[in-house]
Formats: sequence, C-alpha cells, structure tokens
Amino acid sequence: MTSSTITREIPKPGINFQLYELGKFIRLSLTWLTIIFGAVWIASWLVGVLLPAAIEQFMQGDNAHFIGNVLRALTPIVSVMVFIPINAMFMVLCERRALALFTVRKGPNRVGPDGYLQTAADAVKLLFKEDITPHGADAIMFTLAPIIFFAPSIFGALPLLAAVTADHPLYSFVNLPTGIFYVLAMSSIPVVGLVMGSWASNNKYSLVGGLRSAAQAVSYEIPLVLSIITVCFMAGSLDVVQIARQQAGGLLNWNVFGGGALTHANLGSITSIVAALIMSLSCVILFCMYLIAACAEVNRIPFDLPEAESELVSGYNTEYSGIKFAIFFLAEFTNLFIVSTVATVMFLGCGAAPLPILDEVMVGTVTSLLAWAQNNLGANFGQLGWLINSLINPTTFVAALWVILKVYSLVVFAILVRGTLPRFRIDQLMDFGWKRLIPLSLILLIAITFLKELV
Amino acid sequence: MENIISFSQATVEPIMFYALVLLMVPLAFGVIFDRSIIRAGFILIGVFGTISGIFLLLQAQFLAMAQIMIYAVGITLVVVIALMLTNPTLDEDRAPTQAANRLPGFLIALLVFATIFLAIRSELWPMAPELIQSDPTKAIGYFLLTFYSLPFEFSSILLLAALIGSVMLAKSDRAPMKTEKGNAKALAKSTR
Amino acid sequence: MLSKPLAFSFAYIICAIIVTTLYAIGVVGDTIMQAGFNPEMAGLFTASALFALGALAAICGGHGKTIAVAGIALAFCVLVAHEQPLVRYMTLSALLFSIGMYGMVVSRNAVRMLMSIELMLNAVNINMVALARYIDPIAVRGQLFAIFILTVAAAEAAVGLAIVLAIYRNNASIDMEKFNTLKW
Repeated sequence: MTSSTITREIPKPGINFQLYELGKFIRLSLTWLTIIFGAVWIASWLVGVLLPAAIEQFMQGDNAHFIGNVLRALTPIVSVMVFIPINAMFMVLCERRALALFTVRKGPNRVGPDGYLQTAADAVKLLFKEDITPHGADAIMFTLAPIIFFAPSIFGALPLLAAVTADHPLYSFVNLPTGIFYVLAMSSIPVVGLVMGSWASNNKYSLVGGLRSAAQAVSYEIPLVLSIITVCFMAGSLDVVQIARQQAGGLLNWNVFGGGALTHANLGSITSIVAALIMSLSCVILFCMYLIAACAEVNRIPFDLPEAESELVSGYNTEYSGIKFAIFFLAEFTNLFIVSTVATVMFLGCGAAPLPILDEVMVGTVTSLLAWAQNNLGANFGQLGWLINSLINPTTFVAALWVILKVYSLVVFAILVRGTLPRFRIDQLMDFGWKRLIPLSLILLIAITFLKELV
Repeated sequence: MENIISFSQATVEPIMFYALVLLMVPLAFGVIFDRSIIRAGFILIGVFGTISGIFLLLQAQFLAMAQIMIYAVGITLVVVIALMLTNPTLDEDRAPTQAANRLPGFLIALLVFATIFLAIRSELWPMAPELIQSDPTKAIGYFLLTFYSLPFEFSSILLLAALIGSVMLAKSDRAPMKTEKGNAKALAKSTR
Repeated sequence: MLSKPLAFSFAYIICAIIVTTLYAIGVVGDTIMQAGFNPEMAGLFTASALFALGALAAICGGHGKTIAVAGIALAFCVLVAHEQPLVRYMTLSALLFSIGMYGMVVSRNAVRMLMSIELMLNAVNINMVALARYIDPIAVRGQLFAIFILTVAAAEAAVGLAIVLAIYRNNASIDMEKFNTLKW
C-alpha cells in the first residue's frame, strides 16, 4: 500500500514527531544565538578594545587618545546597530518555527540548511521590492513614520546595556541616573510613528488601525508604567544597574518573588512572614500584569488590534512596502525584545543565576579557562596575550548568558501566547485595561509599598 | 570619557541651544500656520521634542523624560484623536487663521514679547550656575513629598476631577445600545 | 526646478543665515580678542539687514510666511547672542509664549487654539526650568513647579478636548467663527 510507505517516511503527528521538531527548533535557536551574540561580541570588541588600542599604539599624542575614547564611547551604539537586524531575522524565524511546533507543522524548511536562511531571503526580497508612496498620501509624514517608529528602539534600550553586561566598563557610561524612566519614555514614542503612518497612508483601514493603536497605547501605558514604578519603589532607585545588583543572590531575591522579602523576613514574628508571603504573591501578580501590558504595548496577539489582519487587512502598515515595511517589521520585533529585556532586568534578576552557587562556579570556570589560555597561548603570541584577556570579562560573560536565556524564554513565551489566544475585541480591550488592569496596578502599588515596611 | 564631556560642555551648550531654537521656532509656527490641522498636531510633537532637548541642556533629565512621555506622546495623541473625530477635512481648503484677528493678534504678541524681553533684560539675576545638583530627581522627590505635598495631593484631585469631567462632557446623550434590536432602533434614529 | 516663491524663500534663508553667522562670529571673536566690538549696535544693524533682506525677497515674490518664520528665528538668535545663558533661555520662553498667544488669538480651529495654549504652557515650563538651573540649582524647585504645570496641562487638555467634542456634536463644526451664539 502506498499509504504505509508514506507513513514510514513522514513521522506520524505524535509525540515523536513533536520531540524531533523540538530538537530541530532548539538546534536552530542555538545556532542563530551563537551567530547573533558572536557578531555583537566581536563588533564591540573591535570597536571598544582592538581599534582604540591599535590607534593608541601606532599614533602618538593626545589626538590618538581622543580618537580612542570616541571609539570606546561608540561601542554601545555599534553593538546595538549590529544586534538589531540579525536579532530581528532570528526572531521572525524563531516565531515561525515555534508556531509551527505549537500547531504541529514543520514551518519554513527550504531556504538554506533546513530553513535556517529563510528570513535572510525574506529580508533581501523586502529590500529589493519597489518602495511605493500611495496616491494622496502625505509623502513627508509617510516617510517619517517608520523612522519615528524605529529610532527609539535603537536609543531607548541603551541604559539596559549597562545592566545586562553587569556594568562592564565599556558600557557603564550609558547607565543614566534616570535609567528605567528613560527606557519607558523612549518605548512610548513608537505609537506616534504608528498613528502618523496610518494617517499619512490615506487609507481607511490604516486610519482605523492607527486610532486603535493610539487608544490602546494610551490605556495600557498606565499599568505598564505603574508596575515598573512599583518595582522602583521596592528597589528605591531608578538606576537599572542598581536594581539589577539588588537582585543578585538566588531565586528568592528576584523582584518577581518579592525582591528579597522572603529571605529578609524576620522568622520570629508572624506578621513579617505573612507580609513576606503576601508580598511575593503580589509581585508575581505584578509581573503577570507587566507582561500583559507590555504585550499590548508592542501590539502582539492577543492585543494586535492595530494590525488585525482578518479585520483591517494589515492595519497601519497596509500601504507600506519595500524597505519602509521592513523597518516597521524590524522595529516591531526589536520592541518585543526590549520589553522582554526590561522584564528580565526589573523582575527576573537580570544577570543573576537562580542559585548563587551556580554563578560562582560559572565565573570560576571561565576565569580558570582564561588563565589557562593566557598561560599556554598568550606566552606564544607575546604581547597579544592581553588581547585574549580583554576578549572575555568573566562576570559580564556569565551575566550575559543568563540574560540571553531569560530574555529568549520570555520571547518564546510571547510566541506561545500568540499561538494560543484569540484576539480581543476593541471594547473588551478597553474594559480590560481601564476596569481591571489599572485598578489592580494601583492596589498593588499601595499594597507593596506598605508590605515592604512590614517585612 | 569624563574628560571629553566636561571639556566640551561649555562650547557644545550654545551650539545645541541655537540648533534647537532654529528647529523649534519654525515648528511652532508650523503648528499655527499649517493648512492641514492633523499635520499641525504632529508638528506639535516635534515642538515638544525640541523643548525636551532644551530641558536636557538645562540638566533637567527627569523633566525631559516626563515631557516626552506626557506631552509629546500622551497629550498630543489625544489631541490628534480629537482632531480626527471632529472631521477636519471640512476646513482644509480655508485659511487656518481668522482674517480679522491677524493684525491685532500680531500686535498683542509683539507687545507681550517686547514687555517680557525688556523686563528680563533690565533685571540683574543673582546667578549661581557653577553649582549643579547631582541628582535632581531625588531633590524633586524630596520636595514633592515634604514641603509641597499639599499641592501634590491637590493635583491628584484635579486630575481625577478632570478625568470624570471630561468623560461626562464627551459622553453622548444617546441611549446605550444594548440589544441587537435596540442597536437597530438607535441606528435608525440617528440616520433619521 | 524650484518654483519662484520657493527659490526666493531659500535665497532669503541662506542670505539671512550668512548674516547671522557673521554677527555670531563678531560676538564670539569679541569675547576672545576684546576688539571693542559693540554688540548692541551690530545687533541693530544685523536685525535691520535681516528685515531689509526679507522685504526684498517678499517683494520679489518669495513665500511670505517662510520668510517671516526664518527671519524671526534668526532675529531671535541675533537678539540673544551676547546675553548670558539665563536671559537666553528666558527670551526663548518669551518668544514661544508670544507665538502661542498669536496662535490662540488668530486660530480658526478650536483644537488648534488648544494646541497654542499648550505651547504657552510649555514656554512657562522652559522659564521655570531655566530659573531652577541658574538661580536655584541645589533645590531645583522650578522643576517641581514645572511638574505641577505638566499635571494641570494634562487636565486642561482632557477637559478642553471634551468641550470641543461636545461643541462638535451640537454644531457639526469646530470653527471658532461660528461660536458666536452668545454674542448678542
């Protein structure tokens, strides 16, 4: 029978097929993550360490020092510029593969080895498509909109870089005193680009999408900011590095579990223990609230009303094509990444391991490996020995590994939500925002402020 | 790093100031003169952005961020939505200004500017620019919760009142459309 | 090819920027070399040059509003070039305030009038922050006041826009010239 041969060739949709696909998905993610962070790492090493060192070596005087310092100051922006396009390519591929996994399909698997290069091909296609400005559109606004949508995602996440690299000297100067507030202010700008683009397209579907996105952003910004403010109250600071540092030392010190309320609770008094328990519970609720509001802020399903493909064609980006559409696409995925990073830094302990002992072991291993490399390789290359040492900062390396793990877990969680939930209706969305989330966030703000004193 | 920044502070500040002014003044006029009122709304965002740049020059980081968050995004978006709700295309082909008020308006504005400018010029200001608060956010928070806590509380009451009042004002008087039947009835009424 | 009004406007803007730059070089060079350059007289001369150039470009068929806006922006730069920073910022605030006032008086659209009021409130904010920076730099109380102004402005925008919407529902228009039912 032909059917039996077919069943032998293609694994039946069952647990084996799913495990096989899951293995492929994990392999793909690991490969892409290695490419992304290898590229970012090498780029920032070149700009921040190697080039300034070479310039100061071969050019004498104050000028060389000045140029070297300028290059070092450029490191954060260069690493962000390198990171954003590659990361967006990976996230699109990851999203398609993961959705395929959740709906028992195969996903893109033709371009390159097992579909690894699918989004690279998509990007090339988008760049070569014709860039159309529709008839009757406001040309200046139409061009400006994707830029306004995209620019904040470059500059907005800079203070977070200091936190996720554990205050590495090359990145520590982007750590502003108003750190997290700056990130929030910048992440509120993109909606202006959406409304602008939707109005300038001279298209009714776009306009409806833009109006929806404006209403949604204005409503969901409040619970988002309030949940972040609650964390700032707990930490007593707006400085992201300080907030990240306070969460070091184990799972229970993370803000999502009460920010050390459980470990600092006075075991002698009942009040203190109960307060600590309630506080950790409210922090978990707070974290969920942040995730919901952030999901709405970056227009992901179930809050993707602005682009709602089945109702509004494609909402605000109906009329966009070619490179402008690519920029919209890029910014959307970068924003998802940024809100996940904010969640990691504010709630999930940033670069801290779940168990403090893990951190020590990992840093120790990396340090001893480095020392070994220094002794065996550095001796042979003479002066270049310090270059190897400057390549890896053990603390930063371990912290970055944990941050990558946490952030991409949140991204995969967002994709899981996308694959699971249907879209809100606009009135349900408004009701949920104003009648549930905002009162809940205010209650939590007051409750956590009081509980913090009781613990 | 510190060296470069502190070295250039004195020279960069005026350059940035004039650049922002040359951006801000045309944008502010654009808000008033642009024929398309919605585009004027978007230009307003640009004005607020440059003003937040001015705040950054004046070492008011917190306020610059609040400016972007509240003015440039929050208030202006609400303004733009209100514009879209009030059917602006009707007025697009007419001049954006009232002809009868142009000359008096110009004279009033000129008078106001001249008065304020002369008043500023004639004053000797007790300057203390070399002192800089290292953490203005902290100072603001301290004063907000100690000496000025009463106005702070009152501003929250004001916001609440404004919220309720604007909802009451903007709510239409039409009966709520609950059932399908009622919906059809209300629709028929509104079309009649 | 540029159209004729646009070409004249551009020509004016370029000439005016050159004149202003010359003045700025004079001011900066004077503070360095102490050559006895009189900023008051030179400022008067530069301002009249800007005005004459503008009149010339407008007569030749330039774009009146563009010329006026560029002229005002550059004349402002000339006006404050030799002042101390605080006066510079406060003059900017006065300029923005007067622009907002002009817009409020002449606007035909009610929402545009509200936008002009926002401009005026922002001008006051600049004033507050400048004073906080230069006169009260330790206990930045001006910034505090600016935050209160921000709050009031948000409330004002909400209520004002709600009123505009209510008027629109009754009148089917937000033209300021049609709001004269209480005139007599």
